[in-house]
Amino acid sequence: MTWRAGFVLLVAAGLAILESVIPHLFHLRAARPDLLLIVVLYLALRDDVVQGAALSAATGYLSDLSSATPAFLYTFLAVLTFVVVRTAGAALRTEGGIQSAVVAFGATLGHSLVATLIFGFFTGSGLHFEAAPLLWSAFGTAIAAPFVFAVLRRLDASFQHADEAPGGLL
Amino acid sequence: MHSIFKRFREPIFVIALLAVPFVLFFVRAKKGRDLNALDRAVIFIIAPAEKVITLAVFGVVDAWQAYGALWGVREENLKLRRDNLKANQLEQQAAELKLENDRLRRLLDFVDKQPPARLLIARIVAVGASPHSHTLRIARGTDDGVVKGAPVIAPEGVVGIVSQLTGSYADVQLILSPLSAIPAIAQRTRSRSTVKGTGDIARCKLTYALRADDLQEGDVLVTAGGPGFPQGLRIGRAVNVVKKSHGLFLEADVVPAVDFSRLDEVLVVLDRAPAVPQGVASGPGAPGSGP
Repeated sequence: MTWRAGFVLLVAAGLAILESVIPHLFHLRAARPDLLLIVVLYLALRDDVVQGAALSAATGYLSDLSSATPAFLYTFLAVLTFVVVRTAGAALRTEGGIQSAVVAFGATLGHSLVATLIFGFFTGSGLHFEAAPLLWSAFGTAIAAPFVFAVLRRLDASFQHADEAPGGLL
Repeated sequence: MHSIFKRFREPIFVIALLAVPFVLFFVRAKKGRDLNALDRAVIFIIAPAEKVITLAVFGVVDAWQAYGALWGVREENLKLRRDNLKANQLEQQAAELKLENDRLRRLLDFVDKQPPARLLIARIVAVGASPHSHTLRIARGTDDGVVKGAPVIAPEGVVGIVSQLTGSYADVQLILSPLSAIPAIAQRTRSRSTVKGTGDIARCKLTYALRADDLQEGDVLVTAGGPGFPQGLRIGRAVNVVKKSHGLFLEADVVPAVDFSRLDEVLVVLDRAPAVPQGVASGPGAPGSGP
């Protein structure tokens, strides 16, 4: 594992903590941003395939661990999201904040739809779909996306500078 | 062979990353999650951070509110003195009523059939990380005597059950979760049914309620007892009751009695904990021990 991968995981862990704590502190019921999904989007658009997919799986695992049941749903969905966004990556541009917000909004909707379908189908709990919480969640994720992208870009920039400097990071 | 693997290294790796979690999810979809060593290690790192942030923010908010409260403290003091006089009068009346109540209870040979339950107060430190999850994380675990499947309640009613836990922390699966199903009784009609979670953040679904039952809008539903929750705990109230002209069961939604987004502490029902840890209340007289 590279230093950069380790730091991305640290950022993901920090975001997992924020994602768990913020809705509790602010009594949010529906407008809960999916911060870890934004990390997966960033990896899909910026990283190489092997490392990006592995980091996406790890990010999904973090989400899984905080969601209690059933196990491994979000790990699978994170890698699936990585693959889909990666495949569509040529058409997606996320240089600015608005673009990343739009991509995050769409990805959250797709992610939530697939999560609901798989969850309902495989757990036998049936399909129950409500548009309002889904849209609120997508909206929250879209607002958070530029900030998370900025943090990860800054992280990548610091590693690039370190690589360019004589002797590298260490 | 080696060259083929090298050539298709990326697709093979990604397909494996997709297949492994999917198969594990498929196999365990209807089962609870037993945490392994890695799971415990990650929660061991993350949960204390969640706890520290939550306690720090609530501490600052409490301090600020306490400061603000000092402004009106003199007027409040006078009002409290007047209220105190009234309360003394009411207390004397209540004492009389209590004696009368005790006498009547003895006369009716009243027996509290509620089995005594030991309740453990637990602070909520976080909620499920994913927007689709319906869980709360509490700062109590196996070290405090909490077991998997233990009912979790609040003074307002039923919260959920413990679905996974470590030594110091436990995740509570809310009754809103699609995996949750609680046997229920309508308080007014005593008719039985099941309250199932649907994934909706504000309501559950009432299932197996007979169409012939006289269930009406606003009827209160309580736990039916059995191996899970103690009997008589408030689950919520029935809304959108629809009785079709055909079929065995009626359709209805249930609005939970508890607002899960505004919970700060909950009570874990302990059946057979070996020792009484700090913060344990016991007996039917303990807060939240009855409906």
